[in-house]
Amino acid sequence: MSEASTPALVFKGLEKEFKLGLGLTRVHAVRGVDLEVQPGEIFGYLGPNGAGKTTSMKMAMGLIQPTAGSIRVLGGDIADPAIRRRIGYLPEHPFFYDYLTAFEILDFYGQLYELPRKARRKRIDSLLELVGLAHARDRTLRRFSKGMLQRVGIAQALIADPDLVILDEPLSGLDPMGRREVRNIIVSLREQGKTVFFSTHILNDIETICDRVAMIVEGQVVRVGPLAEMLRSESMGVEIVAHEVADGTRERLESLGAGLEVVGLATRIRLAGEHQATALQALMEGGASVTHVNPHRVSLEELFVREAAEAGGADG
Amino acid sequence: MADIVSTVRIGAVARNTFREALRNRAFMGLVAFSIAFILLSLALSEMAVVGQEARVVQSFGFFAISLAGAITAVVMGALLVYKEIERKTIYTIVSKPIHRHEFIIGKLFGLIGILIVQVAILGIVWAMVTSIQGGDVGAEHLKGIALIVLEVSLVACVAVMFSAFSSPVLTGLFSLGVFATGRLIPLIEEMLSANRGLFVENAFARFVGEAAVTVLPDLSVFNVSQQVLLGVPVHLSYMGEAIVYALAYGLVFLVIAIWAFERRDFI
Ligand SMILES: Nc1ncnc2c1ncn2[C@@H]1O[C@H](COP(=O)(O)OP(=O)(O)OP(=O)(O)O)[C@@H](O)[C@H]1O
Ligand SMILES: [Mg+2]
Repeated sequence: MSEASTPALVFKGLEKEFKLGLGLTRVHAVRGVDLEVQPGEIFGYLGPNGAGKTTSMKMAMGLIQPTAGSIRVLGGDIADPAIRRRIGYLPEHPFFYDYLTAFEILDFYGQLYELPRKARRKRIDSLLELVGLAHARDRTLRRFSKGMLQRVGIAQALIADPDLVILDEPLSGLDPMGRREVRNIIVSLREQGKTVFFSTHILNDIETICDRVAMIVEGQVVRVGPLAEMLRSESMGVEIVAHEVADGTRERLESLGAGLEVVGLATRIRLAGEHQATALQALMEGGASVTHVNPHRVSLEELFVREAAEAGGADG
Repeated sequence: MADIVSTVRIGAVARNTFREALRNRAFMGLVAFSIAFILLSLALSEMAVVGQEARVVQSFGFFAISLAGAITAVVMGALLVYKEIERKTIYTIVSKPIHRHEFIIGKLFGLIGILIVQVAILGIVWAMVTSIQGGDVGAEHLKGIALIVLEVSLVACVAVMFSAFSSPVLTGLFSLGVFATGRLIPLIEEMLSANRGLFVENAFARFVGEAAVTVLPDLSVFNVSQQVLLGVPVHLSYMGEAIVYALAYGLVFLVIAIWAFERRDFI
């Protein structure tokens, strides 16, 4: 197989079951995940807390062994250091030797890649610049804030100019500027022809930069595909904002399948596009004043909440 | 070969482990405490045996250095890898192109570096006190101190091995047990060959005693204080044998530790 067509990351029937205590209690964290990340794409791994994102990424990095299934990384096995040489990994809430300075820790990691001293120095200085830590170069990490540590984490993942970058919640702990900077870094990695696989439960991150998305809920991938397609497949809706909605009107709207939400003095009504006319008529007759009518596309957030709720419902 | 054992990667881990200890207040406290311990024990032993102090003090000083070094080896060895997993610092390391065995070897080398520094500091303190008391300090004593470095390095290997299987507290207890038993091996051997006593009366005790003698390193090999005391020179060939002995045992412990570590989940 040629390099270009080899997927950057493949999960096949991936499973992980944790044994707790004496092995009597088990947590089935990942339940048969199949996934292919293509070279050159930004792939978002999306799911609620406890869905199994971190667990699958740790398996991809060889930190924990799968209970079943297989993993191919850059066409090889993660146990092979030659493969790891081409990968950058940011763990969730990264922890570092906090008695070292930002420069020292990156220098340490650079040595693990056997980068020559000169190249290491140059690379570290440009990375510290990139993640906005040039001013804190010689400060020990113990004195770093949470967001600064996250930036060190991004820098160490990129130290050896990897082909594949696996980032577990890269935007967590960052301020709005930091989030934008890291988003830009991720996009620029794609421009350099690199592959990015990152997890998040923050939908904004995904919507703006991902080529493809997999949604994982309770250890299973429930949806996968290009984001636009995923959202387009959902029917269009409409959002109406009205004041003074009477109880009777409320009931009529609900019978149309509308979702109602009181926001201050106003009521926000969301319903399927085909019921728009009926709903507006009901509001007029009920003496409500309509302030907005907007066609409304299903957002990733709604999709996400719906999937999570469905999985939860099916389970319980 | 360079791919399986890289001096750059091992060196990076070892240097960093060493640097961590030097920047760690707990380690510095331990060194200060062991200096105080040596001074105190030297003072006490001098009071206890008026007249022949220099020799006894010498012998006791060697034991105190070895004990302080062994305690450091056990405490730091038990926590060496445990702490990395517990604090999750290991995630960003084993995901880099370093072999897990290189990581263990690097950590162990770093710890041995620390032990060398500690034993050297205590050796200097001991030499200063001895010369103040009118004893002389020579090459034989230096060899004695060097043997202590071997001994405590071996104890560090034992601790790292146990830490691959058990909690730090158990590791500490087991390793100190090995240190104590290892020092008493000649005594146990003597008791085993006697035709009376515990090992004759109790079959289980005999089994345990024989197992200990067979499996555990004889740490008395590294204790030449009696020889030095009596003015018997420590031959270089003896030093060589002691080094080979320590290396052989150390390697076995290290291989077991690596074997366990290679298979481990980092959760
Ligand atoms: N070491 C462990 N032992 C037992 N259970 C675990 C362990 N690690 C994770 N789990 C369980 O596995 C499930 C998945 O956890 P995981 O950390 O992969 O979720 P996540 O998708 O990364 O969530 P988050 O968004 O909160 O980071 C959870 O139910 C969690 O409790
Ligand atoms: Mg997670």
